[in-house]
Amino acid sequence: MLVTKNVAELCVLLIRELYGQLPSRIFADLLGRGRSTVVQIAQHTSLNFRQVRHGIAVLIQLNLIYHNTDPESGIVNYEANSYAAYNLTRTGKILDMVRNKYGNHGYTLVHEVLVQGHAKISDLVKAFQVRRNEQHEGANGANGASQNGTSHNGHNHVNGNGVTNGTDDLDMVYKDEDFDIEAQAFDNLAQLIAAGILEPVTPMAYQSPQDIRSTVEQEFMADYPTGLRGSKQTSEFERNVRDKLREIQGESTRLKRKLELEFTYELGAKRRKLTNGAAANEFSGAKARSVLLEEFDTVLRVNYDKCMVELRNLRLKRYAEDLIGNITAQVYETLLAVLSKKIPRCQVDRSIEVEEDNDDAHTGPRVTTQEVFEQLSSAIDVSAGIGFPSEDTIDIRRAEKIRRYPPQLKGSTLHQELEEGEEIVGSDDEDYDHSGEAAANYGYHGQNGSDDVKMQTDDGLPVGAARLHQMRQHLLILAESKEGFVRHCGGRDFGEWTVDFEPLMQHLKFVELDTIIENRFGRHGLRLTRILREKGKIDDKTLPSLALMKKPDVHVKMAEMEMGGFLDVQEVPRDNNRTAARTIFFWFFDLDRTLQRTVDNTCKSMVRCLQRLDVERLKRKDVLATAERKDVRGNEETMLRGYAYTEYVQFIDVEKKLLGQVMRLDDIVAVFRDY
Amino acid sequence: MDDQTSILKSQLYDACQDACSNNPDKLFSQEDLMGLGVLPPKDVKKLLQIIQLLTKERLLAPVHFHNSLAWRLRSEADAAKYKQLTTEDQMLVYEIIDLAGAEGAWQQDIKKRLNLQDIALRKALKELESKRFIHQFTTVENATKKMWIKTGLQPSARATGGPWFTDQYLDEAFIDVLQSVVMRLIKEKGSYRSTGERSAARSVSPVLPKKGVIRGGMSEAAIKSKKRSVDAMSRDDAAAAAGPVSKFRGAVRIPLPAGYTDYPTTEDITASLVESQVAKGQPLKTEHVQELIDILVWENRIEEVRMGDQVGYRAVRISKQNPEYVKVDSEDFWEPRTNGLTTVPCGKCPVFELCEEGGPVWAGGCEYFDKWLA
Repeated sequence: MLVTKNVAELCVLLIRELYGQLPSRIFADLLGRGRSTVVQIAQHTSLNFRQVRHGIAVLIQLNLIYHNTDPESGIVNYEANSYAAYNLTRTGKILDMVRNKYGNHGYTLVHEVLVQGHAKISDLVKAFQVRRNEQHEGANGANGASQNGTSHNGHNHVNGNGVTNGTDDLDMVYKDEDFDIEAQAFDNLAQLIAAGILEPVTPMAYQSPQDIRSTVEQEFMADYPTGLRGSKQTSEFERNVRDKLREIQGESTRLKRKLELEFTYELGAKRRKLTNGAAANEFSGAKARSVLLEEFDTVLRVNYDKCMVELRNLRLKRYAEDLIGNITAQVYETLLAVLSKKIPRCQVDRSIEVEEDNDDAHTGPRVTTQEVFEQLSSAIDVSAGIGFPSEDTIDIRRAEKIRRYPPQLKGSTLHQELEEGEEIVGSDDEDYDHSGEAAANYGYHGQNGSDDVKMQTDDGLPVGAARLHQMRQHLLILAESKEGFVRHCGGRDFGEWTVDFEPLMQHLKFVELDTIIENRFGRHGLRLTRILREKGKIDDKTLPSLALMKKPDVHVKMAEMEMGGFLDVQEVPRDNNRTAARTIFFWFFDLDRTLQRTVDNTCKSMVRCLQRLDVERLKRKDVLATAERKDVRGNEETMLRGYAYTEYVQFIDVEKKLLGQVMRLDDIVAVFRDY
Repeated sequence: MDDQTSILKSQLYDACQDACSNNPDKLFSQEDLMGLGVLPPKDVKKLLQIIQLLTKERLLAPVHFHNSLAWRLRSEADAAKYKQLTTEDQMLVYEIIDLAGAEGAWQQDIKKRLNLQDIALRKALKELESKRFIHQFTTVENATKKMWIKTGLQPSARATGGPWFTDQYLDEAFIDVLQSVVMRLIKEKGSYRSTGERSAARSVSPVLPKKGVIRGGMSEAAIKSKKRSVDAMSRDDAAAAAGPVSKFRGAVRIPLPAGYTDYPTTEDITASLVESQVAKGQPLKTEHVQELIDILVWENRIEEVRMGDQVGYRAVRISKQNPEYVKVDSEDFWEPRTNGLTTVPCGKCPVFELCEEGGPVWAGGCEYFDKWLA
């Protein structure tokens, strides 16, 4: 796995920040030199074997390196997993997401797993009990002490979202005083596993994907002693390998599927509310508990792939809020929550899925309006957030148009490509969702429908139809948006919806890029880059007239942006002399390069933040040393003397700012690379 | 020259004048001249003779047109000017400038085409200028070029740069103002302005749609007319807002439902601009307004919406925009969008490339960080 220098630095810094110097040194060496044996590591890092083995044990425990034993020589090779290391930045975000979605109990469990790297179910349950009791005591003892958790967390984890798990917890503990803590732990675990946040660890998880692949390939190669001949054998071989790989991957989801089955069985009987903390308690997971009891020895770890899906949902919601509006974003969040149950990971695994599997991509996960509506929180007022024009200005057929195929897109000239795609789809004009017409009778497209009309048509529709149609309006706005937040892909059950993540993320990459450019080069700079992106290569002379800017201004801006690495220039001499006067200068915008550069710069920026944090720590090392003392911790305000305390508070502020910034930078990386 | 020829000559000239009365720049090919019905058909010799006469009197000017010869009519007054010219040089130079029309002729170009000595050319030009036949002007495309144009003609739009140029300079202030006006029009027509009233009324009945309430918010007339009630409403608001502004502080703009067909198109915007007479003295055409709109699109201020075969425009991030009308580049146009790289000092750092642990610039000693963390 190749990484840039900045990413490598970042990974090492993160590991040092969280787990200390020894593992980080070994990790740095592994990143720098590729896969190595213990002997090699010891040599390069000048550590003794005991130390190296100790460090490697920590890294393996935390899932940060792969290992592979050569079956013949018995030599073990270790390899750094830079993705896992990078994912450490997201610790805080994942915990935050889990708390919001699965409640405090889920948070406690996931927190435990994250700290441990991986953990047995039995150990987790025990740890959960201990934690609960601690909090229980803490709550009974002194309410003020609840801040304890805050500073503690802030110190040991990259957790930019200043954690305050005080008040909520206390209520819960009081309320559930008699509740069987063990059962609670099981319920929450079952829920988390079924949702895919936690997954069982298989031995394969410790081997790098390439290793697994080559092992599988070797296995099948034995069937072809004379080597692969002809395309038929090759394709057969590839199919076998793919099937096997998929099977291996499927192993870790076995428990998940089992639990899911239980959940759907139970939930069929009683409709489930939104999956928030409160609802989790109501669910009586007796069956699920028994399933978990059978698996008492299963080892769990956090499934980052699934967590990324959840984080992406949050991010998309924020984009929707920014671009459209608050209430629409809440509807969108609900839709994504429903949809993402069917999505195990953000990006399709290219090694397993190939084109032939994807040709029916437009039949991918989709949800119906009904499903979304069932999950819609009653706190969302869907009647607001959309304007009410007079009803004759609404073209229902256009609004309800069904697009069965995802838009095509390639390269940086996104604008045109998307429109072409639309052309193909748009040819089928008759294809639109008729359920919108029912809504029109109710007057939700405008405010036409008088009450008589409503009475007449109100026969087959269930209660809450009004609300459902209002919610549909939000979905339709999302579908109409230029970014393509959702695609209206069918007419069943008041409409089916899907999200084409790839083109959508492409759009959002541009949004982020534009933000960076506008902030750095002003709106004129943004204007110029957008022109280049839309028109391709443009020479020096046409640009000013297109942009309606003065020629010298354009030149200054362009040069500035070229220095910043956002634009490139190509020189085309008109004759052999290559004098500047006889040369045409073509400006262009290289999207891929710019994206890569931005990601790398972002990582560099994260590194700088962490480095700065180290420096700040060093500056205030005396105060911090005091604050670390057991008797001071938690009572900083009383124990530290005036000057030292202000110093300490200042440092906490700086730390918060820097770590929060790392989080925000990670948002950019996530959008550009991972979602 | 016999009588018949001179009669035919004047007849042909008159016929040509009639033929191009509604299009003074019309070009006549040989077929066109024959087709006028003045000359006996198929008598090419006669035509040649007459054209020669007319060209000599400068009443017809030969031009190249699609690889063949054509003629353009010259008025008698114009033709008379040639008679005042004394030297051959003057005549040739004047002819080139005359034919260049509103585009004007570049001095260098004239020189090349006539193969004249520099001194002779300058002398001819000077004489022509002193007779007030021609004058010099500059184009926006290249301010250093010496361009000549016939007196009495306005330089073409290409030379002046259209409405965006005032005295050869790009009028950026004018563009900015127009941009703001266009932005305002699009915002006004392409979004819904929600005032505080609605949300206050909602708390009464949280489930029922707010049809009645909204209607209450509109004037009866607006409903009856059924025409652009939203616009009417927001205009009213705008008018009212001019007075006590504080009343509309709580107002927000929210998007219109999907399938809305009344987003303003380029034509609509042009019509409104012309009507409101923002650009006095500058005739704004659709293509000019399109340029302004394109720029707003490129600046991520507005976006295209397809409405059947038309293209309308609406503002982006409508809920984050200032509901009032502000200039496009003003601070409170909208909540600026930020991300990690815009807030951290590294995003704007001029020496980011040099930044390195142990290098001349590093995070620990970074003054931008100092400032930011302080």
